[in-house]
Amino acid sequence: MLSGLLKRFTGKKNSKDAAKKRLQFSLIYDKLEVNDTTLTDLQQDIVDVISKYFEIDKDALELKVKRDDEVSALVFNTPILHVKRKRA
Amino acid sequence: MQGKIIVVTSGKGGVGKTTATSSIGAALALEGNRVAIVDMDIGLRNLDVVMGLENRIVFNIVDVVLDRCKVEQAAIRDRRIENLFLIPASQSDNKDVLTTAGVERVAKQLRSRFDYIIMDSPAGIERGFENSVVAADEALVICTPDVSAVRDADRVIGLLYARSLNPKLIVNRIEPARVTRGEMLSHDDVMEVLSIDLVGLVPMDEKVLISSNTGAPLVLQNDSKAGAAFRRIARRLNGEEDLPIEMPVYKTSMWQKISKTFGLK
Repeated sequence: MLSGLLKRFTGKKNSKDAAKKRLQFSLIYDKLEVNDTTLTDLQQDIVDVISKYFEIDKDALELKVKRDDEVSALVFNTPILHVKRKRA
Repeated sequence: MQGKIIVVTSGKGGVGKTTATSSIGAALALEGNRVAIVDMDIGLRNLDVVMGLENRIVFNIVDVVLDRCKVEQAAIRDRRIENLFLIPASQSDNKDVLTTAGVERVAKQLRSRFDYIIMDSPAGIERGFENSVVAADEALVICTPDVSAVRDADRVIGLLYARSLNPKLIVNRIEPARVTRGEMLSHDDVMEVLSIDLVGLVPMDEKVLISSNTGAPLVLQNDSKAGAAFRRIARRLNGEEDLPIEMPVYKTSMWQKISKTFGLK
């Protein structure tokens, strides 16, 4: 009955919150882990799209998975060499 | 007649897939449909004992797919519920004896004879799973509120999406008291993690074991909460899509109400 208050004073958290958080993370990792070809294909597709608009250094680019307490992000880093001009 | 094939899957074993399959099948028959329940767990059959039909097996699904008998010969009629049939799995065959092509051919025959065909998929995501989903029009995913079941459910949902199936979720064995105490994921938590549509919530119920002990249909026990939940799921699948999903009772004590008022939570 007093468990809620006790938990508040002792700083103990509900175990289900831990379960939810762990699940959300593991599901993201499970999917990112799928296989190397998925990541390579993704990288190639991104390069193709960006190359339409910018001239980029294809050797210096990197694709990383950044982990945070709240979210996971896919970080794509590339130096831009030139902006391509649109031809009329 | 052009029946609908519904596959029941979970990924993880032991989450109540067989109980769900038999109960939803029985409840659909009680709604006036002609229903066939097919046990696709070749080599590890269980639906026959759970449904109390184990003494009446002559032919099985492998016999049907391999053309050793007709659908009518393998389908065991349930004597307690009208228009309910079970096509059991084979206990002696290897699970790789079935092919997706063979299953698809039999699916056509089943569709012409029944309103609903409920396929009970084996646990796992191998050949048996493939065979169970190949001909499915709809898919149900069962999971319990624990980390391993939810994770496996997510994997299975991904595989079903890849086959253009849009699965619906059943959360089984919910213990409202433990959810209230913060010891168990709530159905909202599970839905948020899996982000798919819900078709029903089933509370933990001691009657499930008792009914499987005797092989009596759970949905015929008037005092079974799980049985009632499965009957509502069947009605929803049978076209009553707007039938509200009943929440298992979450008891809040006086103290929790007070805490909430003061923002203590």
